[in-house]
Amino acid sequence: MDGVFDLGGKQGFGPVDRAHEDEPYHSEADARAYALSVAARGERAYPIDWFRHTRENMVPTDYLTRPYFDQWLQTTLAMAIDAGDISLDEVISGKADALSRTPDPMRADDVRKALKTPVNFEREATSAPAFAVGDTVRTDHQGKPGHSRLPAYARGATGTVHAHRGAHLLPDAGAQGAHVPEHLYTVGFAARDLFPEVETNDTIYLDLWESYFVRR
Amino acid sequence: MEPSYDSAKVAEIHRHLHSHLPSEPALRVKALESLLVEKGLVDPAALDAWIEAYTEEIGPKRGAMVVARAWTDPDFKARLLADAGAAVDEMGFAGQASGHLQAVENTDAVHNLVVCTLCSCYPFAILGMAPPWYKANEYRARAVRDPRGVLAEFGVALEPEIAVRVWDSTAELRYMVVPQRPAGTEGFSVEALAALVTRNAMIGTDRDLAAGGA
Repeated sequence: MDGVFDLGGKQGFGPVDRAHEDEPYHSEADARAYALSVAARGERAYPIDWFRHTRENMVPTDYLTRPYFDQWLQTTLAMAIDAGDISLDEVISGKADALSRTPDPMRADDVRKALKTPVNFEREATSAPAFAVGDTVRTDHQGKPGHSRLPAYARGATGTVHAHRGAHLLPDAGAQGAHVPEHLYTVGFAARDLFPEVETNDTIYLDLWESYFVRR
Repeated sequence: MEPSYDSAKVAEIHRHLHSHLPSEPALRVKALESLLVEKGLVDPAALDAWIEAYTEEIGPKRGAMVVARAWTDPDFKARLLADAGAAVDEMGFAGQASGHLQAVENTDAVHNLVVCTLCSCYPFAILGMAPPWYKANEYRARAVRDPRGVLAEFGVALEPEIAVRVWDSTAELRYMVVPQRPAGTEGFSVEALAALVTRNAMIGTDRDLAAGGA
């Protein structure tokens, strides 16, 4: 979707503010919001792509102005309301309906296990890769509705395949609850091909799925 | 229960939350913590476990140990550059977002910089919590379009001949930069070398590490 979250290359933003850069959490509220978000998601059936897409659907001013983990928490809450794990009425009233208590939240032991367990997004490919390292590829010039991971600044752009990463789950499908493996490539784009004012020989690398490219 | 996967529905829910939740972040989080605990959606002990993990156990010291080992152990460095996820697992650091980790190496001719323009993806298991600037609109917007301007704000002045490689983490791959070993550190122990590696150097907003520490 075309949304304010797609920030790469957008202009008008000022200097990078390095405040609180050496603290893991910049405030107590930040730490609590992070923990609430990850603990409430727990082992529930909220796929990562649906989480990202739900965040993308925040009110745009909220997305651009609310703190990062505060956004995670609001997103988790929106997913829980959507899935019927809590009701909007309960959230508005601040009172849980005692008859619909959730029986089995994530426990501290589950947390310790999750912290040691990387998630593998690679799957067996169902087709041969269409592109090889060194190939020239061109990305789709249109933005699609729904969730997708081709940033606007790299649409309709020509780049070179730097690496083939095997088949990974396609986020566009994941945000619709489907598990679709698709070949994933790291593609290098000359910065001067993406942004007209660039004068140096810099390269921007993106990890892009096969369906993001125009077939020749 | 199961999500609807309906974009319009969650957008509407967000509009309700925008209107009804306390705007002030600390008040909002306090209200939601009470509610979610009362509802049974979260266990307070799990909240403490998440917060403590990234306060006490998991942080950029892990990444610094990985870099220091790569500087001193050529076989490990080769494994790290070939499959960083497996290499950090060897060191006991596998965890959140380390499964598809990639290590990219700075050289005299190349400087690497990592960003996630679409959300704020970050290799938590290796670098801990991302600094606020990494998640901020300014960094996400500018790192791909004006990386040299961003680097200058961090005190990194790059000669035009040094090529910048920006890695925009648009998939589940996560990137860490292996900075160059500073001169004058021959004979340093791995521990002493690790103490020289800054978190920002592993994101790419720091370049010339000092033998005496920053």
